[in-house]
Amino acid sequence: MQLNGSKSIRGALATITAALLGSGAVSVADQGKLESSLLYYSESGRVRATEGIVNISKQLKGDRNIGVKLTLDGLTGATPNGAAPSSKVQTFTGASGSTQNVVPPGVIPLDGAFHDTRFAVDANLSQPWNRVTSSVFGVHFSAEHDYYSFGVNSGITRDFNRKNTTVGLSGSYSHDIVAPRGSAPVPFAFLPASTPPSEDGRESRGAHSTRPKEVFDVVFGVSQILDRKTIIRLNYSYNRTSGYLNDPYKILSVVNDQNSPDAGEPVNYVYENRPRAAGRQAFYGQVRRDLSGNTIDLSYRFFWDNWGITSHTVDVFYRWQLRGDRALQPHLRWYHQSQASFYHAFLVDGVAFPQYASADTRLARFSAVTAGLQYSLPITVGSRLNITAEYYTQVGDRSPPEAIGRLRQYDLFPRMNVLMFRLGFESGF
Amino acid sequence: MRIRKLFIAFIISTIAAFSLGGCASMGVNVWERDILAKPAMQLDANANDHALDDHIYFSKEASSGGRGFGGGGCGCN
Repeated sequence: MQLNGSKSIRGALATITAALLGSGAVSVADQGKLESSLLYYSESGRVRATEGIVNISKQLKGDRNIGVKLTLDGLTGATPNGAAPSSKVQTFTGASGSTQNVVPPGVIPLDGAFHDTRFAVDANLSQPWNRVTSSVFGVHFSAEHDYYSFGVNSGITRDFNRKNTTVGLSGSYSHDIVAPRGSAPVPFAFLPASTPPSEDGRESRGAHSTRPKEVFDVVFGVSQILDRKTIIRLNYSYNRTSGYLNDPYKILSVVNDQNSPDAGEPVNYVYENRPRAAGRQAFYGQVRRDLSGNTIDLSYRFFWDNWGITSHTVDVFYRWQLRGDRALQPHLRWYHQSQASFYHAFLVDGVAFPQYASADTRLARFSAVTAGLQYSLPITVGSRLNITAEYYTQVGDRSPPEAIGRLRQYDLFPRMNVLMFRLGFESGF
Repeated sequence: MRIRKLFIAFIISTIAAFSLGGCASMGVNVWERDILAKPAMQLDANANDHALDDHIYFSKEASSGGRGFGGGGCGCN
């Protein structure tokens, strides 16, 4: 390495110091670090969102480190409400009961335009216990107008093998409260706009306005330095969520059966009904390697749950180091999931309802691709600006084989296209 | 189903092999960590980018977790 001037020497000394003091592959902690990001997210014809994150960490006495992260995001727009298209105009009453959403024939119904703001704060304290063991403890709180979350998390890591191997175990618990607009609908209750509360005791809205949700997470991970230029990580994660797991704003169309002259046309709408518990597991593998000053990061995740969903995710970043400490980072992500066992694009009139049913396309079978590019440049000594643009597209089965009657004519899974722009700033202090 | 079980068994075996000392001969000495100490080589680099991505995918897909905790904290899914 050729050294030019005192700055290069200082940089080299800092690198060597970091290398000597670093734990495993982790560089020496900064005295203080500020990271902030601003995201603009836009789905074509649907949701738009803006999200800002400010993350501050500071080293304390005894090598302890405290971090605080503030998140604020705002959403506006509309999402599919789960109903199927129809040859007639469909009218839905908003969750508050005060708005009417009129959907033209032949298109996927979206719920009425909504606005939501979410605020979240996370704080954590990490503490080294000796040269090879450290722990972290954190708390979380978030609030939006129909959802609240209170959480705690903790983790411990231990280095082995001359700090080339790091084993970590962490867990979190979150108590969430769902407080739907209006109130939580009774599963499979008919929508009030289409049918009043029926004689069999179903009612359109529940008596309680809030529902609890409990979320447990455990992550076990191993990271391993393979050589001077390569580090890998393997994680296993388990999540158990129980309580109110329905989306209170999602419904299903109940359509005429295929022997009807109006086969596939809706006769009614019901609220969805999901199981009250989900167990989710994932294996995650990541390898990061230096390639002559550039960096490649390749990761793969295999996910499965007891709702019948399995998914594969492949993520690739390539950081191309340019002159003047600038960098260009292309990103490609591919995702594919199978559908939940209780996913139904619609229900059929006269056929007994299944135990659980949801027409939420997030539970359907689909593939997604993300392609993006990040440009990173230094602003001053110790601070950087990252500018990122990404495109995300989701493609599902537009005409599933179970579609009947007129539903065969319609696009039951319109392609979703998203543009994202991100601005990131990081600085030491 | 059988493929999934075989896959899981492979992953568990791999992790066990690492944990039980199969990796004892891997790695580098402390004076060989110049490249690994670079910010770009940290496994958790760009934490804010990952947090934003995880939030987006959590709200648009059925899968979560793997890199970190998998759920809670948002009514978007």
